[in-house]
Amino acid sequence: MRNKAESREKNMKVRLITIGITAITIFVIALFIGPKTINPFNMSEIDREILLSIRLPRVIVSVLMGMALGASGAVLQGILRNPLADPYILGISSGAALSAAIGITMGITFWGIITIPLLAFLGAIITGIFVGIMGWKRGGFLPERLLLAGVGMGFLASALLMLIMSISTDEGLRRVTLWIFGDLSLADWSVIPYGVAFIIAGFVISISRAKALNSLILGDELSHSLGFSPRRERFILFISIGLMTAASVSLGGIIGFVGLLIPHIGRFIFGSDSKILIPVSALCGGMLLCIADLIGKSLLSPMELPAGIITAILGAPYFLYLLRRKDVLTI
Amino acid sequence: MSSQSKNTILEFDQVGFSYDSERSLINGISFSINNAEFIGLLGANGSGKSTILKLASEILKASRGHISLWGKPIQFYKNKDRAKLLSCLPQILDMNIPFTVRELVSMGLYPYEIPPALTVNDAIEMVGLTDYAESLITNLSGGERRRAYIAMTLLQGAGLLLLDEPLANLDIKYQIEFIRLLRELQKKRGITIIMALHDINIALQFEKIMLIKEGKIMGVGSPETILTKVLLREAFDIDIEIRSDVGGAYICWR
Repeated sequence: MRNKAESREKNMKVRLITIGITAITIFVIALFIGPKTINPFNMSEIDREILLSIRLPRVIVSVLMGMALGASGAVLQGILRNPLADPYILGISSGAALSAAIGITMGITFWGIITIPLLAFLGAIITGIFVGIMGWKRGGFLPERLLLAGVGMGFLASALLMLIMSISTDEGLRRVTLWIFGDLSLADWSVIPYGVAFIIAGFVISISRAKALNSLILGDELSHSLGFSPRRERFILFISIGLMTAASVSLGGIIGFVGLLIPHIGRFIFGSDSKILIPVSALCGGMLLCIADLIGKSLLSPMELPAGIITAILGAPYFLYLLRRKDVLTI
Repeated sequence: MSSQSKNTILEFDQVGFSYDSERSLINGISFSINNAEFIGLLGANGSGKSTILKLASEILKASRGHISLWGKPIQFYKNKDRAKLLSCLPQILDMNIPFTVRELVSMGLYPYEIPPALTVNDAIEMVGLTDYAESLITNLSGGERRRAYIAMTLLQGAGLLLLDEPLANLDIKYQIEFIRLLRELQKKRGITIIMALHDINIALQFEKIMLIKEGKIMGVGSPETILTKVLLREAFDIDIEIRSDVGGAYICWR
């Protein structure tokens, strides 16, 4: 048994190293390939400008967003014990979209270029707090209550969003639609520090609570028996998801697929131990979004396809392939 | 608080519990459990067995009275410290979890900063799941899954194990195997086991039985003294009696 365990551990290390190297390679490639290929060994002034002012912030934003969505999807599916949970199911994205749409259609520019991301972040946080209050009962979050509160808030915010879109001008409608599908073309250095701060904070919190998350997957009573306070842990993890999702949505809009299915792909390949699954989901999410953005901006250049559409077109067939091959789909 | 011997590890003193003021689930019960005892909490459905176990593990907080663990009020323990002394397996275990046997069993180490002497491999070996260590829990039989959970609680190293109806939905082979495993653990490792059950046949295997009805203790003692026709009628509201012959004891009813 010990030999088997050692070989399994070695196998896991090889897989982790492989995925790490793949991720770094993809991030580097995305910097130099695009509508215009840049030769890293022979860069002109314009190339340098494109690399530093456009490509680098865009790659950072796509990686950050992918990381945030992948990690928060893995955490949320664990705390709700529901394989269909997606960070957007908490209504946070709809709240963000609503406030961003208000900002876009009303032409609010109080804080310059970061106005819309900031409005989206505020909308997401306010919605998250409201969902948290609604999901709170008997001194803690009840998973089903939290889920239903999120769905309810999501519907309300979506309805108001549709209302705004239906009465806005054609240009406003186009910009809101682009934003909703995940528009990374707005990526700019000015928004990155906020994104980094909130996403890294949420990520560190969730990684530090990985054991508690594993215990929550077994159920509240076993979590308690293993020395955790399930209600407190669920609250802390909810905060981490809220921070990551809100920051992600505010950086580049709503990107489908990553938060829902990336954790399942991570589970298929690396197993369900949260201390591995959370970083792996983050890394896979970052990679997928980076590739999706690269394809989106290169395929029909100079026209750009929203990254959210590409993530689903790329990821869904792979997920279905794994689903067919593996024998279990659970949290 | 009532007097307790050095050997007492769990004590209930006039403990009461109710979710609301109208209906009391536990009515001022007092008892003490000594080290290395193997005790069955027997009662009909809804008699309060699970509630007693939840109170003992602090999943529920007593509305009245005092509960102490190793002589110290249970509410004074930090979660992690309590988890090193007491572990509780609930009645409903999620069998559709995504972990392997090794991952599940390893969780028994969570209360510890420095791992205890027992290793994950030892715990898996003790419940006879060595060949399935890398298998997913979902690929095991019902009995094997329960054994994996038991291995997790063994690794947790608690001296007091609370089991809520662990034999539910297991066929007779697994029930007997499970009871044998628990008795072995109790004897070899000196673990105290309290098990809630409603099956009188299983209760016959225990050294000591606590008979529960409507949140009150009707009697505590050996199966011979507790499983009498009168007490069983009172607890289960049906005429049954235990008869013995050379092959062992069995239940009779008309």
